[in-house]
Amino acid sequence: MTATTTVVPGDETSRAPSETQWQIVIRRFRKHKIAVVSLVLLLMLVIISALAPVIAPFPRDAPNLQTRFVPPFTVDSQGNFRLFGTDHLGRDFYTRLLYASRVSLGTAFFATLIASTIGILLGMIAGYFGGWVDIAISRTLEVVATFPTLLLLLIMSSILVQNINSIPIPDFFANFLAWIFAVSPREARIIFAVILVLSLFGWTGTARLMRGMVLSVRENVYIESSRALGASNVRILGRHVFPNALPPMIVDFTLGINATLVAESALSFLGFGIQDPTPTWGNMLSFAQSYMFQHPWMPLIPSLPILFCSIAINYIGDGLRDALDPRQRG
Amino acid sequence: MAAFLIRRLLQMFVVTIVAALLSYGLLYLVPGGPVDALLAERQNSGQNRINQTDIQRVQQRFDLDVYLPFRFTRWLIGWPSGPLFGSVGADWQIGCQTPGQVRLVYPDGTFELVEEGCADYLTLAELEGRRVSRGVFFGDFGVSQVILRDRPVSDLIATRLPYTLSLMGASILLAILIGVPIGIYSAVKQYSRFDYTMTTIAFIGSSLPSFVFGIFAILIFSILAQRAGLPFLPPGDAVGVRDYTIPWIGTVEAGSFLDRFLRFLMPVSVLTFINIAGWSRFVRGSMLEVLQQDYVRTARAKGVREQVVITKHALRNSLIPFVTLLAGVLAALFGGALITESVFNWPGLGRLFIDALGRNDYNVVMALLFINVVLLLIGILITDILYTIVDPRIRLG
Repeated sequence: MTATTTVVPGDETSRAPSETQWQIVIRRFRKHKIAVVSLVLLLMLVIISALAPVIAPFPRDAPNLQTRFVPPFTVDSQGNFRLFGTDHLGRDFYTRLLYASRVSLGTAFFATLIASTIGILLGMIAGYFGGWVDIAISRTLEVVATFPTLLLLLIMSSILVQNINSIPIPDFFANFLAWIFAVSPREARIIFAVILVLSLFGWTGTARLMRGMVLSVRENVYIESSRALGASNVRILGRHVFPNALPPMIVDFTLGINATLVAESALSFLGFGIQDPTPTWGNMLSFAQSYMFQHPWMPLIPSLPILFCSIAINYIGDGLRDALDPRQRG
Repeated sequence: MAAFLIRRLLQMFVVTIVAALLSYGLLYLVPGGPVDALLAERQNSGQNRINQTDIQRVQQRFDLDVYLPFRFTRWLIGWPSGPLFGSVGADWQIGCQTPGQVRLVYPDGTFELVEEGCADYLTLAELEGRRVSRGVFFGDFGVSQVILRDRPVSDLIATRLPYTLSLMGASILLAILIGVPIGIYSAVKQYSRFDYTMTTIAFIGSSLPSFVFGIFAILIFSILAQRAGLPFLPPGDAVGVRDYTIPWIGTVEAGSFLDRFLRFLMPVSVLTFINIAGWSRFVRGSMLEVLQQDYVRTARAKGVREQVVITKHALRNSLIPFVTLLAGVLAALFGGALITESVFNWPGLGRLFIDALGRNDYNVVMALLFINVVLLLIGILITDILYTIVDPRIRLG
């Protein structure tokens, strides 16, 4: 099941038997040129957004009515150079975009991390133990899958964001999130609510995929021999089942980040996700849309990063799929 | 088949109840809820300060003084609406109009008032004459509270439904007519230039968020085209309010067929493109799989013409999995493309949902959610049955 076991005689992978499994994966991934370029650019974006508070040229939300709607690459009336212009409140777009990248990418990453963890655990339990546990988990999956996800996302997000003070989030946790996202603790609570909502619906696909993988992995002889040697279930799951079911999960996780990123942007765009003044690509685009008739350049500023990220992440997922499981081409 | 249908219908019933519970619970169990929102609105409007009667009136309006299980059954099936059988249990307590207050005195002499018990119970007799819907289960979704105050939700849905149906119907039809042939041709000419172009476009198209795509469409076809003096498309709404002039075409009268048609074009194209991107990929994949089957090889070996192999042997079988995609179509037809409708300000059900949610019109939100779940379930059932029809190898049981 792993990359090492899929070596076919005559395949170039058999050329270097001394390579470790991950070296093979990296070598295969590097063949997918667009994926490599995407990965490099995306990593650069992540680094830039991580440095947001250091490199941002202006305060994040300091409205300035004298400098509203300054076009990109121009100098405003006060002599400041505006790389990406300013928004309807005169806030610097470049500065806000830096912070927004941090919020949007971070939210997508953590929501997907939580969702994938839930999905992998449940899928593993359902697939490995079978019986009534499997039935219970699979039925829950089926029911959750029949819900109209977008509607529920909107409803839950709207409710949680409206009643943000009634969600018990410990202060230290809110402060920790605030540090990660470079926002105030109050904003961090809203971000956390959105992460929760997004992860609540994101796990079903992962669980189904994991269950299928485990069902096929657990029939292998090495599982049987491991059990014969007296290994506990936890050891078998952790040492044998999980690593062998991992490759498709990595691809799933990558594509999941894109789906969550788009979902978060949509929520914020429609006004039910992370709220202004916390910048996200979605809510910046929503404001830009209202002013695009007078200032057609405005929607480009927040939508280009969304476009870039979703295409880049999809290509990375594609590259990873080729690298991790060459038989799944198509 | 009969056994399958019975089991599936039972399953659907359970899921429907769960969905009803969920959609009700989601909106009414959260702290705050409709009362706080309404009272806050009243308070902020500055007309008058809220007093106890205001609170009671709002509570009555939303049935909030009725205990939760009964509140839910009143919403779901419109029961109980008064004493049972006309007279039984007229004085049974099924709710609390005013909570009791207890003075909690601390040792240091300070005290606070704590709500405990009930000072004024609500009885079954008092429920009589109060407005109650016939129940969501029987298709009565109550009245809208904000958007069209006191008008039935079903009226609101009925006025918006034609917009969503026309938009979704046209785009789904177009997407099938264009997307399926593209997918098939890509598969037949695998790795050709056409295939590469189409898979790349589909790849980018299906990773594009629809709102970004919609905004780009407005930017290019409305704003930039208009600025360049080219013919442009009106950027949003289903019907115009003012006449406007388009180069080369002339003056378009607001509300005319041409006006409606021009406004229809952009949202339909955006939705069609998104659907084509997804569906052509799907058809291509399934066609490639079928083309490797033994029966296709057999047909070719027999000397059947390639065209016949593709249309007769491969095509029909490759469309079988396509049926599963259609399961969501029914719900999509109804729910509309929420995001696209918002971007283009299209007055369909998706926009209605967003408006209702934004303005705390809970009955409308719940109705749309509930109908959507039911339609999704019906869609899945129809798909299962269709599957057995198009693919006799599959038996339900």
